[in-house]
Amino acid sequence: MTNTVVTYGYWEELEAVPSLGHYSMSLDAHHLVQFWRRCSLSSNFWSRYMALWVPTPPAPGHLRREAMEHLLSYLLNELFENCAKFSGGPFQRINYAAWIQAEGMVFELTNQIVPAAQAPFATLIEELLTSDLDELYFQRLEASAESNASGSGLGYLTLMKDYGIRFGFRFSPLTSESITVGVQAHVALKEL
Amino acid sequence: MTIAHIQGEEYTIEYEPSSHTVAFRGTVRLQSSDEYAPITELLQTAHSEANTTGQLTLDFRQLQFLNSSGISMISKFVISGRKQDRVPLRVMGNQEIYWQQKSLANLQKLWPKVVIEIL
Ligand SMILES: Nc1ncnc2c1ncn2[C@@H]1O[C@H](COP(=O)(O)OP(=O)(O)OP(=O)(O)O)[C@@H](O)[C@H]1O
Ligand SMILES: [Mg+2]
Repeated sequence: MTNTVVTYGYWEELEAVPSLGHYSMSLDAHHLVQFWRRCSLSSNFWSRYMALWVPTPPAPGHLRREAMEHLLSYLLNELFENCAKFSGGPFQRINYAAWIQAEGMVFELTNQIVPAAQAPFATLIEELLTSDLDELYFQRLEASAESNASGSGLGYLTLMKDYGIRFGFRFSPLTSESITVGVQAHVALKEL
Repeated sequence: MTIAHIQGEEYTIEYEPSSHTVAFRGTVRLQSSDEYAPITELLQTAHSEANTTGQLTLDFRQLQFLNSSGISMISKFVISGRKQDRVPLRVMGNQEIYWQQKSLANLQKLWPKVVIEIL
């Protein structure tokens, strides 16, 4: 086990950054798995809530409120689903946090994994952050069509490639049996 | 008889053999590729029943949400269609539904014979 915190990609210390509003919620991963629609329900609630920060009409060049609501719902559903699917080890807590800033919104979801799951996830993250996204996207799909593998691995890719969302990832050791995974999604108010 | 209808809690998927159309409605955010298997099966049935001189239509105009696992399922279906190269595919989308604006064009990149109509 390592005792160090490792960070990848676009990670911000949000407590230190001025924000117009901050929200949070805490959930149990088992409960999302138990009723899968809770992922969708939570994402729809927060997407509608957060999209109200976008004025109508929006500032020039910014996404319209309905488009933002849609985008956030897709994004948050992917993030809640990942927390539900990939939580492991003795702790099953999921934390949702959101910040509204002048130029964008930031969402941070945390869940726990077993230490052995860190390295494969980190490899995947490095691939996501260094590859040509278009190439990786089609390569993944062709490969999974061949292999009939179960996991599709398109979540972060679609969010980065099609929506221009920037991601940060953080692994923080919690105990010898548990590591906290933080995923930050940075959404610009500007239409990309 | 072929299964022509899948009814979920928040969605319906309907296959209309006479027009060779599969229409998706609602929110499709299933948990795993296993849960997507019946939908793939329905699509494959529709594909095998389409005339080689005609086309198969996927109608997404009332599909509000699809998660990435669902996008993967549809994409794999397009790839299998390309490999068989038996029937061209037409995809109908809705300009008002943001994910379709953003992601439907990817299907055409998988197979240039996919015609996308976003209304
Ligand atoms: N919150 C998380 N905790 C632990 N591992 C994660 C987490 N999020 C993602 N991963 C790992 O990263 C991989 C890629 O995630 P991604 O969301 O892109 O694809 P997926 O969930 O496998 O499939 P899809 O999202 O297309 O249904 C996952 O398969 C998983 O191994
Ligand atoms: Mg995922």
